Amino acid sequence: MKPIAYVDRLNAFYRSRGFPPYQWSVYETAPLTPLRKPLNQCRVALLTSGGVSRKDAPPFDPLARNDLRVDAIPAETASAHFQIHDDYYNHGDADRDINCIFPLDRLRELAAEGVVGSVAPHHYSGFMGRTYIRTAVMTQAAPALARRLADEAVDAVVMVPG
Amino acid sequence: MLVSTGRDLSSQVRAPRTAFVNFPMGNPFGHPFDKVTQRRILLEALHILGSVTEGGTLIDLPCEWGEEFGLNLGAGYARA
Repeated sequence: MKPIAYVDRLNAFYRSRGFPPYQWSVYETAPLTPLRKPLNQCRVALLTSGGVSRKDAPPFDPLARNDLRVDAIPAETASAHFQIHDDYYNHGDADRDINCIFPLDRLRELAAEGVVGSVAPHHYSGFMGRTYIRTAVMTQAAPALARRLADEAVDAVVMVPG
Repeated sequence: MLVSTGRDLSSQVRAPRTAFVNFPMGNPFGHPFDKVTQRRILLEALHILGSVTEGGTLIDLPCEWGEEFGLNLGAGYARA
């Protein structure tokens, strides 16, 4: 099937509710930092914005606005030890198997097989929806995460929007 | 790099590297407990890391969900 036209359909949805047009982030160009090592020498982390937290951490608040919380999740966390709180996508399947959106078991396996160099000490979860303070994300929250990833000698991050 | 189920959404944001997976939002790596598909998508995404030479590249991963699916947005939108 053809990809769903989310932008058009969400614009129509907001219009039908009488909301002003949503201000999408649109960029014409993007930088590229080349991968400097082969994959089997790279340390890889995961990042999700799907409202994922460990069961022993507070749940994310689906109704929060401008929540810049980012959790560092020890990479050895068992895949059954997660909860998802996000009302803006259907996470019924991911509730049963977190690997549907946050494939930490599969990444562990690839590292154990030597396909990937290693799993980073932490994965990350944050950048929930309903964030209207883009400048704060771009100048504070995202650079703080980038510094942490650099401190942990992470070579690559697989980011999965929720 | 980004693994995305929203082709148009991610095209306009233009991350340095995007792998588009034409699966429902909420299932970018496939069905629960389908280890083969989860692994394949993760691995293909990881290979894109080294193959992309221009920032803003979006690669359509070969994948087929097998049935039609809709917006799948969750309860929050119903409240709006």
